Amino acid sequence: MDLYFWVFASMSVLAGLFTIAARDALPSAMGLLTVFIALASLYLHLHAPLIAIFQVAIYAGAILILVVFVIMLLMAPGERLAAIQANVSYRGAGALLGLCLIGLVAVGTKGVSEIVSMKALPEGFGNPSMFGDLFFRDFLLHFEVVSVLLLVALIGGIYLCKKKL
Amino acid sequence: MASLTHYIVLSSILFGLGTIGFCTRRNALILFMSIELMLNAANLMLVAFSNFMADMAGQVMVIFIFAVAAAEVAVGLAILIVLFRHVREVDITKFNVLKW
Repeated sequence: MDLYFWVFASMSVLAGLFTIAARDALPSAMGLLTVFIALASLYLHLHAPLIAIFQVAIYAGAILILVVFVIMLLMAPGERLAAIQANVSYRGAGALLGLCLIGLVAVGTKGVSEIVSMKALPEGFGNPSMFGDLFFRDFLLHFEVVSVLLLVALIGGIYLCKKKL
Repeated sequence: MASLTHYIVLSSILFGLGTIGFCTRRNALILFMSIELMLNAANLMLVAFSNFMADMAGQVMVIFIFAVAAAEVAVGLAILIVLFRHVREVDITKFNVLKW
């Protein structure tokens, strides 16, 4: 029984449920924050400490703060309760779709763990120096392309927020 | 020790939750957060496979997903702010100018 996995897995699923079920956007964002932290803890368990740090710094620290800023800037009201209740069939269809997806993945990946979980981890797997070595040698071109993507997104964001569009 | 199947099922549950949220909510900000949930489910799957196959490339892919998520949020929220200036609403059913 792997307690560490179960604690953080249930935490992430419950917080994910809260994220999509909360009436207002701000509690929903707090639920998402909990999901990020729980997943970062699971990454530590999976020999990915650098990814765990990036998860907290980039997702929880930058992306979510941006979302929270926009929520507070817009001060939009939550969904009316009547609108939520009128939407039950719509919600049922969405829930059915999601459950089908989960079932499909569970059936489709049956037996995968027997195939792949054979290899032993090499010495120093997941430490930042090994990561950087791979990242800046084998994936250098990809890294540059992504930096252009971020630049384009930056310019797009600034352009869209001009006073007169 | 949790097996790869545990992580696959957890990841698909999170992805399914994101899908349900995206299909059923009407608040545009919550739709954004549902997308983030789906991206995180994909990240978890990549890291889990990276660990169980002893291949670091999965972790590098996660960094690229981080970059894509950051770009998506920056542009998406900018579009949302512009829309809000026109419509004064974040309910996606109110954005119906292009609706036939």
